[in-house]
Amino acid sequence: MAFLEVVNIVKDFGGLVANHNISFAIDEGEIVGLIGPNGAGKTTLFNCIVGFHKPDSGKIIFQSKDITGFKPFQTNRIGIGRTFQIMKVTTGMTVLENVMVGAFCRIEDRTKAQKQASAILGYMGLSGMEGAYLNELPIAMQKKVGLARSLATEPNLLMLDEVASGLNHTETEEMVGLLRRINGEKKITLFLIEHIMEMVMSVSQRVIVLDGGEKIAEGLPGEIVKNTDVIKAYLGEKYVKGL
Amino acid sequence: MEKIKDALNFRDFSRAEQVGLIVFSIFLLIFPFLGAGSFVKAVMIQFLLFSLFGMGWNTIGGYGGQVELGKAQYVGIGAYTVALLMVWWKLPFWISMPIGVLIAIGYSFMIGYPLFRLKGHYFAIATICTSLVLQDIFVNWKMVGAAKGIELPIHEHPDFLYMQFKSDTYYYYFIMILFYVALFYMNWFRKSRLGYQLRMIKDDEEGAESLGIDARWCKIKAYTIASAFVAVGGGFMAVYNLYIDPYSVMDLDLSIKIALMAMLGGAASLWGPIIGAGFLVPLDRFLGSWLGGQKGLIGVDFMIYAMMIMLVSAYQPRGIWGIIEQFRKRGK
Repeated sequence: MAFLEVVNIVKDFGGLVANHNISFAIDEGEIVGLIGPNGAGKTTLFNCIVGFHKPDSGKIIFQSKDITGFKPFQTNRIGIGRTFQIMKVTTGMTVLENVMVGAFCRIEDRTKAQKQASAILGYMGLSGMEGAYLNELPIAMQKKVGLARSLATEPNLLMLDEVASGLNHTETEEMVGLLRRINGEKKITLFLIEHIMEMVMSVSQRVIVLDGGEKIAEGLPGEIVKNTDVIKAYLGEKYVKGL
Repeated sequence: MEKIKDALNFRDFSRAEQVGLIVFSIFLLIFPFLGAGSFVKAVMIQFLLFSLFGMGWNTIGGYGGQVELGKAQYVGIGAYTVALLMVWWKLPFWISMPIGVLIAIGYSFMIGYPLFRLKGHYFAIATICTSLVLQDIFVNWKMVGAAKGIELPIHEHPDFLYMQFKSDTYYYYFIMILFYVALFYMNWFRKSRLGYQLRMIKDDEEGAESLGIDARWCKIKAYTIASAFVAVGGGFMAVYNLYIDPYSVMDLDLSIKIALMAMLGGAASLWGPIIGAGFLVPLDRFLGSWLGGQKGLIGVDFMIYAMMIMLVSAYQPRGIWGIIEQFRKRGK
């Protein structure tokens, strides 16, 4: 039994089919990338899995449990964390407080939650940022806090929606290192949407490609870059034969 | 134990705020001996009562960020329970007041469950409607006195069980104790798990849900806490005024005043509702009695009142406390 299994998911926004019969499986401990051109339905697929959207048909099975139609807080409580592509920023809450809210998911006591939050900020190399207000930070940093916040809920599966967008080259490399550590040390399965190909191809063990709401390819990063359907989707028909 | 420690711990506030709280507390304690007239005393009681209401409102309206404009229905529930149980079965205040709070809690669950399917303006309008409906029911309900209201039986001798005293001073100390219970509770609340979760819900409900927070349930809990607070105040109003009718304890005017005082003082801050009440209650009273007495000037007090609210909300949505904090930041 796979760790996360998505079976024939269909999501139709009144005529616009955002996800059409998408099926795939993710094993425990993997790092899987999800790519595709703009409007391919990546974020919709994420939202269907965590429960922000209810799929029109299809099934989502997590750790052999059918979680189709669960609410977002329920999917989080059974161990699916997610970050947002566009994060709404809290005003008047510090970085530490934000991460504490994540920690409160599993911990009732405030002092313990605070300890947990500080530990996670330290793990992510954000020590010293505790007192900063989230709305006064640059966007790349806010996304890191979003990741820390989600990590604090102690997920088994972490779904990251463009966590590296807006980062420069060095920061992207740091992020790759961090994701590998999260996967290796904390044993958290990662499923990530990413536009920066360098990053996706280097960090993912397997890549799934969506285009126009359908899954067009799935495989090792090395195979994906040579796949004609993928090249067609990204660059257009005439580049399939090579330049 | 931990909770009590949190409630009594004001150490995370600045020195100025701590000193302010101590000076203010001493003032409250010795106020009845300062020789103020009965009018000023009545204003002080009103101030403490509205601070209590405002602190209750602050849980859902301030920390939770849900514009709630129907608190008067819970004032009414608290007040009517105390009055009716006293008239019908001669139940003392100390029994009827907790019953009123329990009814308010039950009723707020019932109302809150469907109400929190709504968001933003729709929620605000719905809270107004539920309050108006309850008021209308009480206006027409013969058994509870309808529009005429209820007079509480007056005891010849002062009676602690029924909270009837000759002098306002006793009422003053009683509401002061309630005020401090509320203050300590709120001091704990803002540091509690629910407090943190509500602050997250206020700014980013989707984000909060993705962190395992059941936003709707959290809001219902906060709404219920707010209703319980307000019902206590309602019970006090009944024994203090010795007369209630649907217009004095369930009016929309009252709901709006409760919310506005907290917002004007500064929503989502511990001091906000107190500052707001300290500002608006005296203003409301003094302007009302001064301008109301002069011919042709009736209603001018409301204009001044409204103007100030517009100014504050246009220039500093976080209220008076927000303005103070801004100056302190600039000073640093």
